[in-house]
Amino acid sequence: MLTKSQARLFFIGGTAFFSLIFVMLTVDTLRQIPERQNTKAMTASVVRGKTIWDDRNCMGCHTILGEGAYYAPELTLVVNRRGPEWIRIFLRDPQAMYPGKRKMIQYDFSEEQITDVIAFLDWIGKIDTNGFPPEPDLKPQVALAKASVAAVSDRPAYFDSVCTACHAVAGQGGTFGPALDGVATRIDPVALDTWLADPQKVKPGTAMPNLELSDELRAELVAWLSTLE
Amino acid sequence: MKFRSQRVAYLFFATSLLLFSLQIVFGFIMGFAHMGYDVLHDVIPFNAARTSHLNLLVFWLLSGFMGAAYYIVPEEADRELHSEKLAVIQWAGLVIVGVTAIIGFQFEWWEGRKFLEIPRPLDYLVVVDVLLFLYVVGRTALGAERFTTTGSVLLVGLTAAALLYLPGMITFESQVMDSYFRWWVVHLWVEGVWELIMGGILSFLLIKLTGVDRELIEKWLYVIVGFTFLSGILGTGHHYYYIGAPEYWLLVGGIFSALEPLAFLGMALYAVTMARRGGMNHPNRIALFWTVGCGIMSFVGAGFLGFAHTLPQVNLWTHGTIITAMHGHMAFWGAYAMLVLAMISYAMPNMTGRKLFSGWAPEWAFWISNVGMIGMTGAFAVAGIAQVYMERKIGMDFLAVQEAVEVHFAGVVLAACLLTVGIGMFIWNFVQYGLPNDEAVGQGG
Ligand code: HEC
Ligand code: HEC
Ligand code: HEM
Ligand code: HEM
Ligand SMILES: [Fe+2]
Repeated sequence: MLTKSQARLFFIGGTAFFSLIFVMLTVDTLRQIPERQNTKAMTASVVRGKTIWDDRNCMGCHTILGEGAYYAPELTLVVNRRGPEWIRIFLRDPQAMYPGKRKMIQYDFSEEQITDVIAFLDWIGKIDTNGFPPEPDLKPQVALAKASVAAVSDRPAYFDSVCTACHAVAGQGGTFGPALDGVATRIDPVALDTWLADPQKVKPGTAMPNLELSDELRAELVAWLSTLE
Repeated sequence: MKFRSQRVAYLFFATSLLLFSLQIVFGFIMGFAHMGYDVLHDVIPFNAARTSHLNLLVFWLLSGFMGAAYYIVPEEADRELHSEKLAVIQWAGLVIVGVTAIIGFQFEWWEGRKFLEIPRPLDYLVVVDVLLFLYVVGRTALGAERFTTTGSVLLVGLTAAALLYLPGMITFESQVMDSYFRWWVVHLWVEGVWELIMGGILSFLLIKLTGVDRELIEKWLYVIVGFTFLSGILGTGHHYYYIGAPEYWLLVGGIFSALEPLAFLGMALYAVTMARRGGMNHPNRIALFWTVGCGIMSFVGAGFLGFAHTLPQVNLWTHGTIITAMHGHMAFWGAYAMLVLAMISYAMPNMTGRKLFSGWAPEWAFWISNVGMIGMTGAFAVAGIAQVYMERKIGMDFLAVQEAVEVHFAGVVLAACLLTVGIGMFIWNFVQYGLPNDEAVGQGG
């Protein structure tokens, strides 16, 4: 039968042995991390972005690399998902993007700070995470639809990066605003232009934010929207 | 109690229960926010509520462990505490640091690193305070003619917990490195050295409450904590799957963390077997309830529910979802919250000389709070499974999914009300015991 001193030996020996292996694996991990995390791409801006991330405790609502809180979206691939322009507009005034929804804090960041946060999130998105977050695997139909839309449309890049967060075209995109299929039959180009210039002026209290589009960009968007019949 | 100085434990237990109540308040704020009523957003945004909830949890558990140590160490060393005055100073320091931290969180004075949000200057104060604590209990043990295995395991656990706090105080520019060493604190605490503390306290309680031979209890204590480290150290790998660490952690972390439930199964069998062997005839039945309950619920929350998402092929989908919160609640409850409540239930009658353990209230406190926690865990589980399927498997938008699971948070909040009633009754019982009493000194328990 096992004696007490044998039991103690099992405890001390096991602990020492596995601690040693753990330290050895850590040494190897530290050797591999610079390449896996792409240390070369860690610019000063990225590091400042991490400081903002820590100081504001964004992890108290969001997860990043799957760690943090479960109240707000996973941000590991957010730059990939939303694009830097959309994130910039969002961070200027988070509540304008999703009025009436779960609230993010209005931080009043400067443009430079927003640049740093985006640089940080962009760097995070390029870390080799062994495949996290995974592609949704029960969504083959939707993926098919996605491919065909991308193939036929020649829409403005800005529409893809910003407007699709709220609007769908051909079944793809957000559902927060109305789908824009056939919008040209409902709204003429002049009205579209006034709408995009300042939605609040046309319809006070509307949930569509003023995106402060430049004149050229607005013209490009109106021209394309007018083809959606 | 045997020695007069054991009474300092009372201060720590009272602090524990006070901070626990506050933790629950912040829990409700988050529960309501998840239901769509984030009415306090402008005053206490979610991240402030969450940080307070977690740090209060850690603080009240540590306060409970310290109280337990101040109670147990004199008894195991068979002498008075080295200095009761230093112990009181150490208690005051703990309270000051804790309160400052919680107030600071409301003003964004924090580091955004889950579980380690305490700002650096306060970290140093924590270190000083813990050193003082270790000094007092350490001197007591070293000055003893002989010191038991139970006491040593407890002290080694507490010392190792203090040492492992240090890797959390290194500043890194890289999120990956930050995360890597954050787990040296968080994981190696709850699935490593805290289990030594748990083993030590359980062993003490079982010796006192069951009357089973000390040698036998302490032998199995070694075996159980042996299993803890055998699996738990390399089990840290289950947090390294997807944060940028090498791929071999999927294998190492998967295998060893899958063995971790054995240590908790050990704790459960340990408590149940010893209690049965002893015949369950100690008058303080309720302390035995909490002790055995702690063994069993730690296996359910940490062992079983931990295993449920620890294999890499499962964790790929559940990582960072409400599934984690489900496991986190039951694991902390079963292993550590119930442990502290067991210790309080055992120590109070001995410290005050009043035997208020036999009424209906303490027993109902036990059952109601446990049913409440099981209900919360169930509601988190349903919300978590729904989230994994809708968001991770089908690719639905995050906010749309959150709206779909709002209703389950109504379940969380309802069950949390039960838990709160149970804890309220426990605290009421605690208050009725009153303060430690000199007439109780020198009596066994
Ligand atoms: C109080 C909780 C909270 C905090 C703190 C918070 N966020 Fe958010 N965040 C949200 C919520 C909720 C959303 C979802 C969109 C919405 O409702 O506004 C969101 C959305 C986002 C998005 C868009 C994600 C997407 O997929 O659409 C980004 C980017 C973002 N947050 C970045 C940050 C950064 C950077 C910080 C820290 C400086 C931060 N957040 C702090 C709650 C929070
Ligand atoms: C934050 C979400 C959001 C973003 C981003 C957004 N919209 Fe909208 N949009 C809305 C909402 C909501 C409405 C419905 C407004 C109402 O009826 O009050 C709307 C309405 C519209 C309409 C009128 C549709 C109709 O059928 O009446 C057009 C056209 C439009 N948006 C174009 C755009 C374009 C182009 C962009 C990108 C430059 C864009 N929107 C970006 C939310 C958004
Ligand atoms: C008493 C012991 C335990 C406690 C208190 C505990 C608590 C927690 C907490 C709070 C988290 C969330 C951590 C974070 O994201 O910051 C977590 C994560 C995790 N735990 Fe435990 N745990 C315990 C034991 C176990 C055991 C024994 C296992 C495995 C069998 C396990 C498996 C996991 C896994 C896989 C995660 C990661 C979840 C994710 O990917 O999001 N835990 N645990
Ligand atoms: C009684 C009321 C309680 C309520 C309503 C509650 C609710 C919550 C909520 C909503 C979260 C945040 C999840 C998220 O990030 O979205 C949370 C986190 C957490 N709570 Fe509680 N809680 C309560 C009590 C407790 C108790 C008693 C414990 C411990 C014994 C506990 C331990 C934790 C832990 C460890 C986390 C972090 C989980 C993780 O990150 O995975 N809570 N709680
Ligand atoms: Fe762990």
